[in-house]
Amino acid sequence: MAQVTLSGIRKRYGSVDVIKGIDLQIHEGEFMVFVGPSGCGKSTTLRMIAGLEDITAGDLLIDGVRANQLRPVDRGAAMVFQSYALYPHMTVADNMGFALRMAGVTAAERSAQVGRAAETLRISHLLERYPRELSGGERQRVAIGRAIVRKPKVFLFDEPLSNLDAALRVNMRIELCRLHAELGATMIYVTHDQVEAMTMGSRIAVFNAGGIEQVGAPLALYDRPANEFVAAFLGAPRINLVSQPQADGSAAHRALWTLLADGRPDRVVRVGWRPEHVRVVAADTGIPAQVVLAEHLGDTSILYLRVEGVTELLHAKVAAGGPHLQPGVRIGLSARGDTVIGFDQHGCQVS
Amino acid sequence: MGDTTVSRLGAYAMVAAGGLIMLAPFYFMFVFATHARTDIFRLPPPLLFGHDLPGNVAILISRMPFWRNLGWSLYVALFSTVLTLLFCSMGGYAFARFEFRFKQSLFALVMGTLLVPSFMNMIPTFMIMDALGWIDQPRALYLPGAASAFGIFLMRQFVATAVPKDLIEAARMDGCSELGIYFRIVLPLLKPALGTLALITFIASWNNFIGPLIVMRSPEMYTLPLALRSLQSPVGTEWGALMAGSAIATLPLLVLFVLSSRQLISGLTTGAVK
Ligand SMILES: Nc1ncnc2c1ncn2[C@@H]1O[C@H](COP(=O)(O)OP(=O)(O)O)[C@@H](O)[C@H]1O
Ligand SMILES: [Mg+2]
Repeated sequence: MAQVTLSGIRKRYGSVDVIKGIDLQIHEGEFMVFVGPSGCGKSTTLRMIAGLEDITAGDLLIDGVRANQLRPVDRGAAMVFQSYALYPHMTVADNMGFALRMAGVTAAERSAQVGRAAETLRISHLLERYPRELSGGERQRVAIGRAIVRKPKVFLFDEPLSNLDAALRVNMRIELCRLHAELGATMIYVTHDQVEAMTMGSRIAVFNAGGIEQVGAPLALYDRPANEFVAAFLGAPRINLVSQPQADGSAAHRALWTLLADGRPDRVVRVGWRPEHVRVVAADTGIPAQVVLAEHLGDTSILYLRVEGVTELLHAKVAAGGPHLQPGVRIGLSARGDTVIGFDQHGCQVS
Repeated sequence: MGDTTVSRLGAYAMVAAGGLIMLAPFYFMFVFATHARTDIFRLPPPLLFGHDLPGNVAILISRMPFWRNLGWSLYVALFSTVLTLLFCSMGGYAFARFEFRFKQSLFALVMGTLLVPSFMNMIPTFMIMDALGWIDQPRALYLPGAASAFGIFLMRQFVATAVPKDLIEAARMDGCSELGIYFRIVLPLLKPALGTLALITFIASWNNFIGPLIVMRSPEMYTLPLALRSLQSPVGTEWGALMAGSAIATLPLLVLFVLSSRQLISGLTTGAVK
């Protein structure tokens, strides 16, 4: 268990600033998720914490001790790679015990500790196998087991579930949460998948273009995003962003704006409207809209709607809509509760 | 159906003929090794094994320190192989997985040496070995080739496919030293390529004629190809003894090849297929 502090962390490759100054405090025992689109610098940040990448500027503190210059092993961090990175020529037991062997732990003690970790992950029956004889999910468990055995101060995960199929991913998600509760260890988890971020994180740091846009608890970020980027990144389908209509905007657009933005400060030039807060009503009531595409998922239906004068299609997530909601059907829209988020011209939230 | 059978038979016949043509010199080397010089020049020449092998070996031993030459051949080939494996795998690993200044230019330089015809090296090699005082020393044979450009290239390609970056970083996270990573992770994963390179290097050293010709002066320091050459003279070449010596020289390679042909082929193709 450890506390990790990043202050003013920067990374530069040649002449390119990849990480442009990150300040972040990761608390003891926290499950911190780094989420963001591909290429925004999540892995680079994680690898700087691990010690696999030099830190160009700034301070990395682990438990209050400056760790910029420490070797990976001295930082007490263990990493789980997306590719699992199991040593192909070693058995599962040897893979898991490798770090202990490097640390000079005796064979007997090693096998005891590997055995305990294997039990936690329910892979005791795999210990004598080679990585090539394991399925993807099993390899993933072994990779996590290898990290656990070292009893690290902090666990680092770089998209560990991306190579698994959907069903297995859900299982491993639950498993990792259980593991976090059981070990009470500090974990930093990188993903580009907002569902993983929302379901696993104690807190989420939303990355964008080499910086952090916002840090906070999942639901806090979802309900009160600091800006349009965070609002748009979290939630599927994406939040609807409706701009203020021009003076010559269509009647429907202006009616929609009045519905969503009425009573808000003048600074608000755009509003965010979550798809689940869109209510579908009869065609002659509410804002007139037309269904462009409907995805009936059984429990819910996702509707793609055109409102005359609004450039982007609106997304609506409604309770199983029934067969009458087909492309071309005209409906009316109204809002569900006062849940609209206002943004100013810079994309920052206006409360 | 008849057509394909005929064409298949034709193909078999052609392959068989090709095989025979390639095997014939080999076969006659063994046959002539068992005949005296005079028998070999009879018309028609002997096609089957004779009884003069002991006589031929006796001539061989009287004309040169044969077992000593054989010993040097083995010694040089083994050292060459071990050193080549070590340096080429290290070099290939460095070029494949490390970032350092002038990496691209250095690699280009290494590859460039492949373009220099080997006979261009003969005189410089002699001068350098002479300056070092290594004439008549086996190390003049195994040290210069210990980091061969081809070996480094082969290893670099293999490391690029068989040793992912994540694996090296995982080992680094696990507290393995850089040298430890090379010995415990990289080398074991390079086994197929190491086998291939070992075979190629051993054979090249074993058959090397020009190298010892340049740096070896005394007949008791000769390796086999050079020593056997000394049996040839314009007038009275002992063909039987020469063939016996050649046959004995071939045996280690035959054994090596039988033991490792599968490995050799898989090592040459894995990089390409995966
Ligand atoms: N070794 C490198 N040299 C140059 N640029 C790099 C290197 N590694 C990563 N980058 C760049 O840094 C940026 C962030 O990469 P990364 O941290 O891997 O993103 P993420 O994990 O969020 O997808 C990318 O634009 C990538 O091209
Ligand atoms: Mg990444």
